[in-house]
Amino acid sequence: MDRRPLFLGLVFLSLLANAGAVGVSVVPQPLNVVLGKTTLEVSHLFNFTAADSHSNTLKMAFERYLGLIFSHSNSRDPDVQKMLSVMTVTIDSEDESLQLETDESYRLEISAFPPSAHLQGATVYGALRGLETFSQLVTYNFLSGKYQIQNASLSIHDKPRFPHRGLMIDTSRHFEPIMTIRKIIDSMSYAKLNVLHWHVVDSQSFPMQSLSYPKLWNGAYTRQERYTVDDARGIVEYARQRGIRVLAEFDMPGHAASWCVGYPEICPAPDCTQPLNPAANETFNLIEGLLKELSGVFVDDFIHLGGDEVRTSCWNKSHQIQAWLKQHNFTMDDAYMYFVKRAHTIAQGVKKTPVNWEEVFNHFGSNLDKETVIHVWLSHATAAKVVAAGYRCILSNSNVWYLPHLGTTWEKMYENDPYMNIDDPDEQKLILGGEACMWGETGDSSDLEWTIWPRAAAVAERLWSHSDVNNTVLMLPRLQSFRCLLTRRSIAAAPVLNNQAREAPPGPGSCYGQ
Amino acid sequence: ATEMSNVLLRVVFFLVLVCCKTQNVKPVQGGVRLSAQAPVLPQPQNFTTGLRIAQVCSLFTFRTSQRSRVLLDAFYRYKKLIFSHFSRQKLMSNCVKGLTVRVDNITTDSTYPSLEDDESYVLHIPLSGWVMLRAVTVFGALRGVETFSQLVHFNFTHKLYQVAKAPWDIRDFPRFQHRGLLIDTARHFQPVANIKRILDSMSYAKLNVMHWHIVDTQSFPMEVKLYPNMWEGSFSYWERYTQEDIYDIVEYARLRGIRIIPEFDIPGHAASWCAGYSDLCPSSSCTQPLNPAHNITFEIIEDIVKEVAGKTDAAALFPDGFIHLGGDEVKTSCWETSPAVRKWMRENGIFLFQDVYRHFVEYGHKVSEAVRRTVINWEEAFTNFGTEMNKNTVIQIWIREESIPYVGYVHIFVSVWILVVLILQVVCSGFRCIDSYENHWYLDWRGTSWKTFYNHDPHKLVDNVDLQKLVIGGEVCAWGEHIDGSNLDLTIWPRAAAAAERLWSSRDVNNVTMMKPRLASFRCLLHRRGISSSPLQSGTRKEPSGPGGCDVQ
Repeated sequence: MDRRPLFLGLVFLSLLANAGAVGVSVVPQPLNVVLGKTTLEVSHLFNFTAADSHSNTLKMAFERYLGLIFSHSNSRDPDVQKMLSVMTVTIDSEDESLQLETDESYRLEISAFPPSAHLQGATVYGALRGLETFSQLVTYNFLSGKYQIQNASLSIHDKPRFPHRGLMIDTSRHFEPIMTIRKIIDSMSYAKLNVLHWHVVDSQSFPMQSLSYPKLWNGAYTRQERYTVDDARGIVEYARQRGIRVLAEFDMPGHAASWCVGYPEICPAPDCTQPLNPAANETFNLIEGLLKELSGVFVDDFIHLGGDEVRTSCWNKSHQIQAWLKQHNFTMDDAYMYFVKRAHTIAQGVKKTPVNWEEVFNHFGSNLDKETVIHVWLSHATAAKVVAAGYRCILSNSNVWYLPHLGTTWEKMYENDPYMNIDDPDEQKLILGGEACMWGETGDSSDLEWTIWPRAAAVAERLWSHSDVNNTVLMLPRLQSFRCLLTRRSIAAAPVLNNQAREAPPGPGSCYGQ
Repeated sequence: ATEMSNVLLRVVFFLVLVCCKTQNVKPVQGGVRLSAQAPVLPQPQNFTTGLRIAQVCSLFTFRTSQRSRVLLDAFYRYKKLIFSHFSRQKLMSNCVKGLTVRVDNITTDSTYPSLEDDESYVLHIPLSGWVMLRAVTVFGALRGVETFSQLVHFNFTHKLYQVAKAPWDIRDFPRFQHRGLLIDTARHFQPVANIKRILDSMSYAKLNVMHWHIVDTQSFPMEVKLYPNMWEGSFSYWERYTQEDIYDIVEYARLRGIRIIPEFDIPGHAASWCAGYSDLCPSSSCTQPLNPAHNITFEIIEDIVKEVAGKTDAAALFPDGFIHLGGDEVKTSCWETSPAVRKWMRENGIFLFQDVYRHFVEYGHKVSEAVRRTVINWEEAFTNFGTEMNKNTVIQIWIREESIPYVGYVHIFVSVWILVVLILQVVCSGFRCIDSYENHWYLDWRGTSWKTFYNHDPHKLVDNVDLQKLVIGGEVCAWGEHIDGSNLDLTIWPRAAAAAERLWSSRDVNNVTMMKPRLASFRCLLHRRGISSSPLQSGTRKEPSGPGGCDVQ
């Protein structure tokens, strides 16, 4: 195979990317940017118009972005003739179902002579990404009191490198109120992240309501720290309006002690509560009831079933489980696999594709259904094995993409490429993307945002932008600008230059310099 | 000679202090029984409760027959804050239908809040029917709506909103008129969205003054119309406030019953002023205090004060009746080394650097008075010029060990008493004062626990009722050296709420054990409303120690 055209293409792309880095400060860096040399003024009477689309999702996004872009009230008279006063938005496909396959590409053309702007999204979600890019291009000139776009006329063709670009939040170690989750969703959309992996329940608490098993949320910390099914539905819709899928996780059987507060019969013993009891039919009845009920709430094709850190010692403490193991001639590992597979069957019964943490692959390898998506966290090296075995993979290697590791710098997060050691294009296709994980042991509403940001933006760019956009020196000023943008949008993002996450700035100074 | 006269002055103060103390009068106490507290922060002054749970109708409405922008805006906000969960429409009888507000003086709807405003309210929550809220001003009504919002909770099992211990009768009013929070946008710029969020959170704790320390040595982010280079002292091109931004913030605050007092800290904290106009500073290498030797300094001070006040009241940038002119930490060495300043002093017959400082303070007072603004100064202005100052001046106390007036007797008192001695000096001299004692009420001191915030009382040692009236309130201060857009909320909360209760509730509501669960729930309430608030147990800006419920951490 002649690799030269590809090589030249990459050089060309990287030149474009670098030109972009100099001229436009957008995070994540768009794929293809052509810049001009004019500064185009934007009227404060600016508006978006949806050419033929009747999409409500789009109209609501217009409202949001007008508020975000035009944050300074302006009383000065504009000269609308020479200013950009409207942007037309068109959408190729009106299909608003949001799944892994959704096309998020867009083209943004802004012309200075005469002033005009057009955004074309492959879908409404592509248009949302384009609106975000546009919002980062418009700046406020404090001297003239006008909004402006530099480097016009400009043209941006953009699409994501990976379809799964996630942030995981954990509402079991600490409850996160709806408002907090909404703010996180808002902030994700600014970085073009598109999957909220919601680790809803775990050993410590079970905040989610189930109508069929109404005692499950007795495992919540308090009567107030709970989500009703309607709350969850509201969050899923709020996320969809921002082009974000919600991937719900019910981590079983290992991280599930809180399930037995309401239903002790599904746990091995009162003093040894997890993993869940594989010998009791009640266990699987409950899982089936729960997944059936929630499959209509969490409408994504995927459901995360955990499966990590299964320590089977509690299974030894139950006579019932011991007898059952003997009866089926199961080892502990067999029982673990039995549990995982039965959970898969239940998930598939409600038309969900199961996602599991990597232990499931490490233990059972190619015994698993090929549809299963493996979420790597222990070691990046596993990813190559996963895709070599023909499974799809999501990357969250904990050495770099775990946000509670406060010493992990944004540079390390930025340099982590999901294709490391995976060269075969067919295998590369099996890497769906990655997630930055915000485990909640020490993260509650007080410190969530500044633990996530700005580092998650480095991950977001890795997952969206071309693999060649990987120079930390070029990224630094853009990341600093993006952090200041977040704070302007009411998201608490920590200083970029701090070596530790969620640390105060070292002293007085500019947001752009810290 | 000045040393001697200073010492003499302080001896006199001390004697006055002793006479003040002899006029002991028993402090007035509110009617709250400690055994029964309402789940409201700050604790209301007087209330009675019932024993039943009132159900809130699913079609609950706020209403008033009066025309009021402030109330309508509040209704919209509180409807979202209270009814944050989707609740199924159920036909209910015997439920609380809505809240109806009656304001005695509805003209306050269009006025700017002031120090004298009556914020009292009467709130009656029945078992069914209409909640009655009555207040003298719209701002009092806002306090009542906040109280109501804290009494409604969501029952997750039945998916209904409820009020426990109904019926309620609450008659509430603040203990102090001035209940403030200082934010500092000079050490770090705070975007408009953050300031609005802080204003939201202040209204939840019934704080009513945002003291905006807008400029300082490090940066000058504010637009000055007549001197358009002033904001070249901002950190960057982007970290600036236009005057339109300020109008926007001031109105946002007014709708929440919060006054905004701007501070221009002159002459000591002003190096950033000379970025745009170099003549404002003594020299490029020695930039503060401000340069008295050039007329532009006084012209700009006068213009800023005029822009603050506006040509008409309606056009005022900051309509509040008070302006803070700083006056703290004036270190005169840059004057001493400037030949121009020395020349100016000779020409004006000024011999002491102390008198240059005095000139600035007096000039600030003069130009402020001309536009009907009352000046607030930091305590140094008082400790230096004391009774010579205009009696209308308000003194904000913050003190530091080294600025304690040295009188042998003072050292008999342990450090806790030092502040109150100064407060006593101030009020005995007939000045009004605001309490911001740094050992207790500085939020940037991360080691100061919420209990210390709570235990501090502005009236400690001030027993005389007439003198107590001169203590108009207090402020907690979030100095910005280590506070930027990333950590503002969780540095302020929940500790500011402890001070907010001290400033609102009766003096005898001071039991730390009873406060703890209420403060913990208030922290959870802040979280539900999108405000980050540090865990009580781990301390300010510290992560929670491990997994756990919001109310126990």
